Amino acid sequence: MAIINYANKEVQFKVVYYGPALCGKTTNLAYIHGQVNDNNKGELVSLATAADRTLFFDFLPLNAVVIKGFKTKFQLYTVPGQVIYNATRQLVLRSVDGIVFVADSQWEKMEENIESFKNLQDNIARQGQSLDNIPYVLQYNKRDMPNPAPVHYLEYILNNRKVRVPSFVAVATTGQGVFATLNAVSRLLLQKFAWENEQAVSRHQHAGHPPASTSLSGIAAVSSRR
Amino acid sequence: MPILTIHAVNQLLEGLEDFLDKSEAGFAMIIDRGGAVLCQQGSIAEAADPSIIAALAAGSFAATKELALRIGEAEFSALHQEGEHSQIFICGVDNDTVLVTIFGPQTTLGLVRFYSVRTVKRIAAALQESRTNQRIVPVFSAQDVQSTQNIFGR
Repeated sequence: MAIINYANKEVQFKVVYYGPALCGKTTNLAYIHGQVNDNNKGELVSLATAADRTLFFDFLPLNAVVIKGFKTKFQLYTVPGQVIYNATRQLVLRSVDGIVFVADSQWEKMEENIESFKNLQDNIARQGQSLDNIPYVLQYNKRDMPNPAPVHYLEYILNNRKVRVPSFVAVATTGQGVFATLNAVSRLLLQKFAWENEQAVSRHQHAGHPPASTSLSGIAAVSSRR
Repeated sequence: MPILTIHAVNQLLEGLEDFLDKSEAGFAMIIDRGGAVLCQQGSIAEAADPSIIAALAAGSFAATKELALRIGEAEFSALHQEGEHSQIFICGVDNDTVLVTIFGPQTTLGLVRFYSVRTVKRIAAALQESRTNQRIVPVFSAQDVQSTQNIFGR
């Protein structure tokens, strides 16, 4: 869940890159890490096996745009794609705000894509949540491979829920589609957060609490005492 | 959604400051179990990024919880790792948060552990108060988001 810190005037979000083994989740984070200005990124941490397969997670903290004086921060995680690491995927999904599902476009990976997407829905459900309520986007990666399935087929098998979500073709090794994907999920997250905040403020005021501007100055006054 | 008012953050900071004074540990932070930093006090090595430590500590503590479940325990109350120069002590505050303490040879695990018990109670009470007396104020609107061009500068 997004965390609002009025003391630092910042909002933090957690985004998890999910998908089958070797679909390119870590490659997405590595490309992002390579492109973002040093001042706006932390270290890319990878908990991987000796063979460079993700064992626990990869983690990349990013500072993003300032909106109305509030800094936005995004913490990007990947999960290990290998089937045996399901317990780890459940841990990484805790408090998730948004998801990028990275699918491998190669024909022979379709079953793994479907299994992984189903596994994502199951793991979200285990947290008492539904994918319907979590902003997510789809990324069809590895479009440069010799045998990619057509995009409309990937849409048919993965983007077939009640509400169709934004989807992006990508070649994460070259960066194609990587930022388009990240920007899209981040915008969805920010919009959901803003909408929920507006609803909460409205409910708060209807419950007879002081208008928001008064509340804010009250909070500022607490700060100025320090 | 978790909301940290300035008042709540001040209470947490005071709790951590008192804890560091008494335990003589160098650095402490409160993180949520998803790996986000809620509040931090003290100093650590310049190269150490608290957000990375938080992500790793949350993952590590969550993994030990799974281990505990496998042997019939609900949770291990604390996790301790000792290095040559620094030690880290992680303990649960409530269902959503964890206290992470980093200390060197200037103090002992016993002292840190002893003072962590009442610090955890103090922090848990402050967090509970924060949850029940939340003052909701506008952050930014959907329209503000709409008019934002580059979220990551590209």
